[in-house]
Amino acid sequence: MSALLQFDGITKRFGGVPVLRDITLALQPGITLGMVGENGAGKSTLLNILGGNLRPDAGRMTWEGGAYAPTGPADAEAVGIAFVHQELNLFPNLSIGENLFLTRFPRRGRWPVIHHRAVATETARWLLEVGLTAPPDTLVESLSAGERQLVEIARALSSQPRLILFDEPTTSLSERETRQFFALMERLRARGLTMIYISHTLEDVLRLSDELAVLRDGTLVAHGPRAEFDVDRLVTLMVGRRLDQLFPARQRAPVVGNEPAVEERPIDPRQAAQVKARSGTGTVPRGPCRPLLEVRGLTRTGVVQDISFQLNAGEVLGVFGLMGAGRSELAQILFGLEPFEAGSVSICGRPLVSPRPTHCLREGMAYLTESRHEDGLALEASIAENLALVTLRSHARSGTGWLNRVTLAAAVRSIREAVRLTPTARDDAPVRTLSGGNQQRVVLGKWLLAKPQVLILDEPTRGIDVGAKFEIHQLILQRAEAGAGVLIISSELEELIGLCDRILVMRRGELVDELSRSKFDRERILRAALHERSAT
Amino acid sequence: MNTARRHATLLMLNNVPMVLFVAALFGFGALAPSFLTPANLLNLLVQASATAIVATGATFVLLTAGVDLSVGSIMFVAAALSGKLLLTQDWSPPLVFGSMVLLGGVCGLLNGFLVARLGLIAFIATLGTQYLGRGFGMWLTETRAMNLPENFTQLASLRLLGVPLPVLAAALVVGLAHGLLMHTPVGRQVYAVGQDAAAARKAGINVPAVLWLVYVLCGLCAGLGGAVALAQIGSVAPTFGMNREFSAIAAAVLGGTSLFGGRGRVWPGTAFGAVLIQAVENGLHNANADPYFYPLVTGGIIFVAVLLDSVRSRLLGALGRRRIRPN
Amino acid sequence: MTTYNEPPTTNHEPRTRELAIRWLESEHLVFVFTAVGFLVLWPVTPGLVTRQNLSNVLLTLLPLLVLACGQTVVLITGGIDLSACAIMAVTSVVGGLAMNGDTGWLAGSVWAVPIGLLLMVGVGLAIGAFNGFSVAVLRMPPFMVTLTGMMFFGGLATWLTRSETIYNLPSAFNALGGCLPLVATLAFGLALVVHMLLSRTLYGRWFYAVGQNTRMARVSGVPVSAVTFGAYVLSGLLAAAAAILYTGQAETASPFLGQRLLLDVIAATVIGGTSLFGGRGKVVWTVYGVLFIKLLDNSLNLLNCTYFTVTMVKGAAVLAAALLDATRRRWLEVGT
Repeated sequence: MSALLQFDGITKRFGGVPVLRDITLALQPGITLGMVGENGAGKSTLLNILGGNLRPDAGRMTWEGGAYAPTGPADAEAVGIAFVHQELNLFPNLSIGENLFLTRFPRRGRWPVIHHRAVATETARWLLEVGLTAPPDTLVESLSAGERQLVEIARALSSQPRLILFDEPTTSLSERETRQFFALMERLRARGLTMIYISHTLEDVLRLSDELAVLRDGTLVAHGPRAEFDVDRLVTLMVGRRLDQLFPARQRAPVVGNEPAVEERPIDPRQAAQVKARSGTGTVPRGPCRPLLEVRGLTRTGVVQDISFQLNAGEVLGVFGLMGAGRSELAQILFGLEPFEAGSVSICGRPLVSPRPTHCLREGMAYLTESRHEDGLALEASIAENLALVTLRSHARSGTGWLNRVTLAAAVRSIREAVRLTPTARDDAPVRTLSGGNQQRVVLGKWLLAKPQVLILDEPTRGIDVGAKFEIHQLILQRAEAGAGVLIISSELEELIGLCDRILVMRRGELVDELSRSKFDRERILRAALHERSAT
Repeated sequence: MNTARRHATLLMLNNVPMVLFVAALFGFGALAPSFLTPANLLNLLVQASATAIVATGATFVLLTAGVDLSVGSIMFVAAALSGKLLLTQDWSPPLVFGSMVLLGGVCGLLNGFLVARLGLIAFIATLGTQYLGRGFGMWLTETRAMNLPENFTQLASLRLLGVPLPVLAAALVVGLAHGLLMHTPVGRQVYAVGQDAAAARKAGINVPAVLWLVYVLCGLCAGLGGAVALAQIGSVAPTFGMNREFSAIAAAVLGGTSLFGGRGRVWPGTAFGAVLIQAVENGLHNANADPYFYPLVTGGIIFVAVLLDSVRSRLLGALGRRRIRPN
Repeated sequence: MTTYNEPPTTNHEPRTRELAIRWLESEHLVFVFTAVGFLVLWPVTPGLVTRQNLSNVLLTLLPLLVLACGQTVVLITGGIDLSACAIMAVTSVVGGLAMNGDTGWLAGSVWAVPIGLLLMVGVGLAIGAFNGFSVAVLRMPPFMVTLTGMMFFGGLATWLTRSETIYNLPSAFNALGGCLPLVATLAFGLALVVHMLLSRTLYGRWFYAVGQNTRMARVSGVPVSAVTFGAYVLSGLLAAAAAILYTGQAETASPFLGQRLLLDVIAATVIGGTSLFGGRGKVVWTVYGVLFIKLLDNSLNLLNCTYFTVTMVKGAAVLAAALLDATRRRWLEVGT
């Protein structure tokens, strides 16, 4: 039986960082292929190449024996490939039927008039198929997230594809909807449809798939029939061991008892007076502060549930989890960008009441966001402007706001050195001209200038080269050794294992596991993140 | 605010125009009993016809999250050119009507080019063409008012089956527009583009083509609306069509069209909005209110309508957010 | 889904594009254009370089500069203030109503001018605050809020005076607008203050940050709502200042003040180089833009072009500038 789809040596790089390495894989018709791997292993990238959203740097694909090189999603659709993305591409202001047939409405004869009855019947048919009980003319905006996902699936099915790609289709589905979805998958399988299914719920993948493929760091590490795999083997394959990655050694063990004084300096001198007044003592409070950050029962409906943990001075605390686990949302809530409904966040025992970023900054928090392009940098602004933004107030005269250029320039100079920003770039060069690694240094430098006590980092080394990664890790550790508490969110298990004193694992908005350094166990961590519990 | 309350508020916000309209009708009816007579209501419709037509065109553009600030100038240019042709070349009135519509379409093409092809921001592009058009029109009319002959102005009082021509024209436009938006593929794609142009592109919609279309349609409606207004007013003064864009946008927003794109209907929305605006003006007139009050009242009403639109937009954003923990 | 966003450096851009971008980005492009234009028009435009003409131009240019500075600040934060001219109208009218010798509220009082000025400034601040509140707190779209404001406040001015002009303003007040050295000092002084604000203070940096990347600004601790609010208040304040100058010049308070100025203001700021997308703009650029527009206006008038020709040319100039702005943004985006 000739393969329906063949990957030959597919390679892809993003700005020099290899994301897929020489993927060679054959997919027979009628097979359901389950694909597993950690975040960043390359699964989504591979599917995107297949779906025509990305082009490979090397290698080729074959569809039904012929060359297949899609230049866009339309090409993929044309050959009969349907893609159910993780990020929904529905239009909430249109009905289900309209979303399904937006570019291929059935018409009345040759007039450009929509045949509403046909749309309704067709839509109803597909809704029945996916198990969604909603009238075809329901506006998508009134559907729950799970129902919207089902509509997305219905849309893929309605184009009568030969191959369907599912990228994490059950993330927004409730228990009941998930069961319905699996029943649907069984039906489709029985009908002989070819499917590729990406998921982090290993049990489900094992149950549904005929074959499995495991990706790790862009390499296909295993591909075979279902019978060859079980959960343990999958986890082991996913995690693996990377010997080529070196991490800066911790200079000293994380402090547990007699920490030196925490550098509890308010961000700007003006606030010092306020802090003075507030604390009642004559000076800025010094001395050990345990815990530095305490989170208790933090809850926001639909986002995070009952999160409790502590962060101590000098400690590096990692937060691991898969996409959609709620880690970034947690960080946003901590930093006051999003509200919370229950629980408390306290710094040095002082609870933050209805916090906002300005407030959190004053308390010594810093938050390096997940996407430097979206909300980390002003790409058009210069390096100096970006570096100075958070701490600008401390260089300004109160009242007029007049900036002291001398101290500003000195601060910029010092932080440029500290983060080892490439010396060839001038202070006034726009940040968009820098490489990814350098851009990330600028963002980090911006926050480090504020000498934060609590440094929250969300994927600080994403998308940058190994050398820059290493240096950024050094900077993080330096900050911890200076007495700050670092909360680092990352999808790279190795990074967390190398850097952290403790690791928290989040899954679906909850904290499901906590490990200290001595007990670091890759498989246990991954399992916790993957809806699995370790045997021990 | 939990989901249920959000949905409830949304429902309320979506139906505000209707509520407003009914309330206004009853309000004015109570203030001046002569308001609710059939004759007066028909008169209201006749007066509102031009606005309704222009506002329908504006609705198309607003649905794509754009705006056309030049409709008033388009009306003016079309009127000036056609008026000149009528007076100098002695064209027949129907021909003049037709030429105005066509000219409007041409102006719409220019707007479409600037926005869809060159990628200019809609409001600045149409602000520029607004001035271009106003200047061009004034040059055409040499800043003098052009009075149009009777054979043209009597079109305004012509009746077919008892219905005045302006109202028929408006009904036709509203009906066609409604049909286009609700029952044709490209109409639904207009809504998609307004909701999220990037997603629409990804879904395979030809976004530039859709944008071209809405601006051309807006221009056509401006031309036709100008023709109706011209027939009713009878002359082309240098201020012809001035500030019409504002009442057009106002009518659309009052009728439920969102400035953020993707939401709104021509029927009943914009049509009712146009009548509402006219009713307010008439009502103020009947109540012998200070004529200087009019822009204040309309301004205030528009502000409230836009405010409600903004609130609605934010609610929708909050509702659409992905949930980590589905219940 | 993991995304790796890795912008290539500008080394990868073709040389011509690099050159073109640098040329487009040149700050002084507009000034060069204006200077060249002036030199070209000098021989062909009768009456351009007379003392009378130049002082007239300056007198009307300076208040426009003040107005345009306010617009520049608002544009930098990513918004727009279409009601600036209506604010001028209301301000002028309130001043006239307060200070005029016949029926003014303060007629005859020795405090007429100072209080009148205070009132006028107050009006500008109040309307600016209203705009700022609507945009920053109520999150309404700036163009619609200020467009509505333009209608509303324009109507308010007409209503307050029943479309009549107000005469008989105190001479001390008129001097404010008519005496060139005084006007120049005031106008340049205000422009200088705005320039300093934008380039040398904390608040200026915040304006730019909000316009460049609002989300990033919020995360970085910039009080985005307050900054946005402040921009509109400043625009209102400067509109009031411009109204004071214009009203003094005309020696009458009119509800139609500024009706024809909106195009000039927008044209001057956009042509000068301030971006409609926010995050980019300077007072110096606006000065260049104002010079350009005034030269255009003045020379076309002297060449006996009709008002409509002038309007068309200005409209076309705005479009050209907007196109330049959009093209520049697109090229820079492609480069990232």
